Amino acid sequence: MDMNEIKEIFFQECEEQLAELESGLLKLNDGDRDPETVNAVFRAVHSIKGGAGAFGLDDLVSFAHVFETTLDCVRSNRLEPNQDVLKVMLKSADVLADLTNAARDGGSVDQARSRQLIKELEALANGELPQAAAAEPAFKAAAAAVAAPPVNEEGFQPVAFSFEDFEADEPAVIEAPCYEIVFRPKSELYAKGNDATLLLRDLSRLGEMSIHCDMDGIPPLDRMNPEAAYFSWKISLKTDKGEEAIRSVFEFAEWDCDLDIALAGGGAVDASEDPPMQPVPFDLSMLDEASAGSAEEEEQFASRDRDAAVSAAETASNVLQMAQSSTRAPAEAQRNTTAAANAAAQQAASAATPTIRVDLDRVDRLINLVGELVINQAMLSQSVIENDTNGTSSINMGLEELQQLTREIQDSVMAIRAQPVKPVFQRMSRIVREIADMTGKSVRLVTEGENTEVDKTVIDKLAEPLTHMIRNAVDHGLETPEKRLAAGKSAEGTVRLTAKHRSGRIVIELADDGAGINREKVRQKAIDNDLIAADANLSDEEVDNLIFHAGFSTADKISDISGRGVGMDVVKRSIQALGGRINISSKPGQGSVFTMSLPLTLAVLDGMVVTVANQTLVVPLTAIVETLQPEAAAIHSFGASQRLISIRNSFCPLVDVGRILNFRATQANPVEGVALLVESEGGGQRALMVDAIQGQRQVVIKSLEANYTHVPGIAAATILGDGRVALILDVDAIVAASRGQTLKPEMSLAAAG
Amino acid sequence: MASKKTAQKTLRLAPVLDLNEATALHEKLLALKGSAVAIDASAVERIGALCVQVLIAGARNWEEQQLSFTFAKVSDAFVKTTQLIGVDIDPLMAKEI
Repeated sequence: MDMNEIKEIFFQECEEQLAELESGLLKLNDGDRDPETVNAVFRAVHSIKGGAGAFGLDDLVSFAHVFETTLDCVRSNRLEPNQDVLKVMLKSADVLADLTNAARDGGSVDQARSRQLIKELEALANGELPQAAAAEPAFKAAAAAVAAPPVNEEGFQPVAFSFEDFEADEPAVIEAPCYEIVFRPKSELYAKGNDATLLLRDLSRLGEMSIHCDMDGIPPLDRMNPEAAYFSWKISLKTDKGEEAIRSVFEFAEWDCDLDIALAGGGAVDASEDPPMQPVPFDLSMLDEASAGSAEEEEQFASRDRDAAVSAAETASNVLQMAQSSTRAPAEAQRNTTAAANAAAQQAASAATPTIRVDLDRVDRLINLVGELVINQAMLSQSVIENDTNGTSSINMGLEELQQLTREIQDSVMAIRAQPVKPVFQRMSRIVREIADMTGKSVRLVTEGENTEVDKTVIDKLAEPLTHMIRNAVDHGLETPEKRLAAGKSAEGTVRLTAKHRSGRIVIELADDGAGINREKVRQKAIDNDLIAADANLSDEEVDNLIFHAGFSTADKISDISGRGVGMDVVKRSIQALGGRINISSKPGQGSVFTMSLPLTLAVLDGMVVTVANQTLVVPLTAIVETLQPEAAAIHSFGASQRLISIRNSFCPLVDVGRILNFRATQANPVEGVALLVESEGGGQRALMVDAIQGQRQVVIKSLEANYTHVPGIAAATILGDGRVALILDVDAIVAASRGQTLKPEMSLAAAG
Repeated sequence: MASKKTAQKTLRLAPVLDLNEATALHEKLLALKGSAVAIDASAVERIGALCVQVLIAGARNWEEQQLSFTFAKVSDAFVKTTQLIGVDIDPLMAKEI
């Protein structure tokens, strides 16, 4: 592994740390005062600093250091993390992200901005009011009140980092040089190849050390996990090197152990309860020889690798055994493997969920192959069924199992690609902050359902439209603080970003509590731009949807942020390209809600295979509520060509799919067909009429746009078991078409899901 | 000393007792259950806290079974490490007869 690869890994980790940092800061911003949150934030900056130091990224190190120092003040309760402090910190997190990006991709950062922030951070560390707050709008400055840093009441010196201004505090440490240390390693400490003995040895070098090992935690031999941590230590150490030196011993293990360091006589450890300690002899030369140096480290890694290989081999042989035994009882095999898989999954979950980084290309290749496998399996079973009249043959049973297996393989492979939307949402909070600063508005971003998982392709392509929409929401949607106050709202606007799963799709909602869409203005603008006729009679919903037209902007003046009118139509197109739909609902004075509904994956879908006018179509299963056989008595004519079907005493429009798609010139007889009750995105129910149902199966989506061209009312295509291409129906487009709107290409962009 | 009539078995410890060795050591000890054990730690060059944990758990188990669990031979490194981390193995040292 060369240096560049290591560096790349460092940057990947940086991204994770930055995300962690930001979510931690936002939690603090929301009033979370959990010390673990503060620690997580501190840890993130600390890790970035550590890694950056190793690569000689001086800009990053120096900024991270100042940031860290200020965070340490928060961690040690010397600085109250109020809104103003967090504002500076969030900005610092942004600068840290910029610096990281600059270090990776080259390019420069705004030096003035980072210098300014360094000053602000230092000021905070020194217990001063944030300078920037004074320059900010007045209502923020009013809230500024930094709690005076608490005095070290208990002679407790919590600062781990030397900082010039704190040096005055240092003598207190030197005068009382006996420390009580409680060191409780976690299992991860050992798992990472570190060892408590090495830490204790380093610690013993600092001065005179007495130690007590707490062995009470050890479970009986047959129930213990040999790789878990049970020992903990109480150490008293006489040293003149200060707490900092002690902490530096634990520097690389800090997060894998519980560590309490207190001056003897301080509050943290009650001396009277201390168990007898064993003095530790100083002659440790033996140990040094045995374990010092990097050679040892290498050896450790090597042996760990070996171990991993051995255990992998063991697992493999277990699986093999299982497979062998299961050939005799195939039915049981399935259960066994699932049980094993479950057990393995549980084990994985309990062991701090180890992860690996895999090249996305490899995953994609695998997914592609699995897709082909599914198609091939379908073809195979089809040809077996055709050539075998006796349906109970063993081949058929085997094929059924194969089908289940391929299904499971496919699910697992898709799960690899599934990622939480969290990173995208976190990026949005930065955008909100920046736009809010630019526009002088006060905005709060609330996110919900960040852990909702969706396919990586969808996530990657989601960021751009979301950015557009967030900008629009803050710039156009929300009013200025003065206007908000005048309207009786709080000065701070709220933008709510939520993600949730709904019937096999992911629904992302962006709601603001701003003024809502000015329909009059939108209408006028549309007339001015010749988008609609001056006397057009449009419903509120239709007016709202006008903003998705190309070249439409209601903003009077073009700003840097948005308003050039390239926003919403681009958004709509990106969402549709993802096979999604976007809706807007707006209430004047109360704000607007944009709802995006996207498929979870772009690769497979469960569909019902139906016949319409001798054509084979696939209807996405997620859209279907129920299927029914219409009776003549339940069919009612309505108007010239409309028909209704009565289902359990309610009427539902009956839509002939073959007629809508122009597969046939006249409407088919409903009694001869089958009705599929579907629910469209808009919420309405329709009964789609098809000629017959062939069956239900999982199909691999092949893009029609990429291989052919758009077909109105059709979302995509797939290859069936017999090798023929079947079209996947776009249910919403069909439903919309049944409302009297014609199937325009624009409408049918949305794919099935 | 031993309530059951069992021969004393010897467990020779590997030179390096680190993370990887802990599981193996644990298994070896489990395999020796039911008979008196003398641990030969004379070859030990390095021992980590995990293996000490296993040994202590073993010692307690043997004590419960009222069987003897002793360190027959120990290396300097073994003694020093156990001292360093505050684990007292003196009571478990084989007494000269």
